[in-house]
Amino acid sequence: MRLLIVDDSNMIRSRISRVVQQGGIADLSLVGMARNGAEAVRIARASQPDVVTMDLTMPEMDGVECIEHLLRLNPKLNILVVSALSDKSTAIAALKKGARGFVGKPFSDDELKMALLDVMEAR
Amino acid sequence: MADNSLHEAELKLFVESVRNYFKTTTHQEPQITSAYLATGDVEGHDFNGVVTFSGSYKGHVTVSMPPQLLRELLLLQKENDLSEGNLLDAVGEIANTLAGNARQGLGAGLDISVPAKLRGHAGLRARVRKHPCVITLRWNHQPALVVVDMERRA
Repeated sequence: MRLLIVDDSNMIRSRISRVVQQGGIADLSLVGMARNGAEAVRIARASQPDVVTMDLTMPEMDGVECIEHLLRLNPKLNILVVSALSDKSTAIAALKKGARGFVGKPFSDDELKMALLDVMEAR
Repeated sequence: MADNSLHEAELKLFVESVRNYFKTTTHQEPQITSAYLATGDVEGHDFNGVVTFSGSYKGHVTVSMPPQLLRELLLLQKENDLSEGNLLDAVGEIANTLAGNARQGLGAGLDISVPAKLRGHAGLRARVRKHPCVITLRWNHQPALVVVDMERRA
């Protein structure tokens, strides 16, 4: 499966990339990293990911709007929201938009890995 | 009386968020060295992340850290790029995380901005409250502080 990482923080993009690439999640390969929702939509058109990790608070286009755009491109896309907005109402709102999982920041490597595996299996 | 209780609740909320950030990210809790209401400009550190609140609250939270602390945090996450840009990115992300986590205690009506990242240790000036809340801490022998300058909208 093909992974796109969307987050405005370089620290978080690199961290997720390392967890996936060095943690050895089988069948998941990184195809792109985006700094905001608009960039994510452009990259998704070109790279056609199956799985996306999605921040919510970002410049230009935020995560909620980006989820809508990405699901219009591919309704079967597996989206894992990774956000500091870790209250229940935000998680529910993201899931209603079509995300399939939610991980609050700060997160441990194991938490992220388990959530990614769950989202991949939800397909 | 109500105003005083708000100060205490905010302080507890952010103190717990700071503890949780370090505990989850580094497996090492910080030592909270003080929590108080500032009476003047607060002397900060060199790298600062500022998140602005709107909606049910207005104001800002500022995370201020020296470069050595940020380098150690990045190295623990196996990040080798320790450039100034990446240190600023890290302090902005920490401010974003603390502010985002605050919604659990302050309610979904709180909106938070993307973080602004500033270099320079000039005094941090209160913009909303006369006496902003200041939390000072020490992690792995390095000092840091969080300034919570916010108030509930009427």
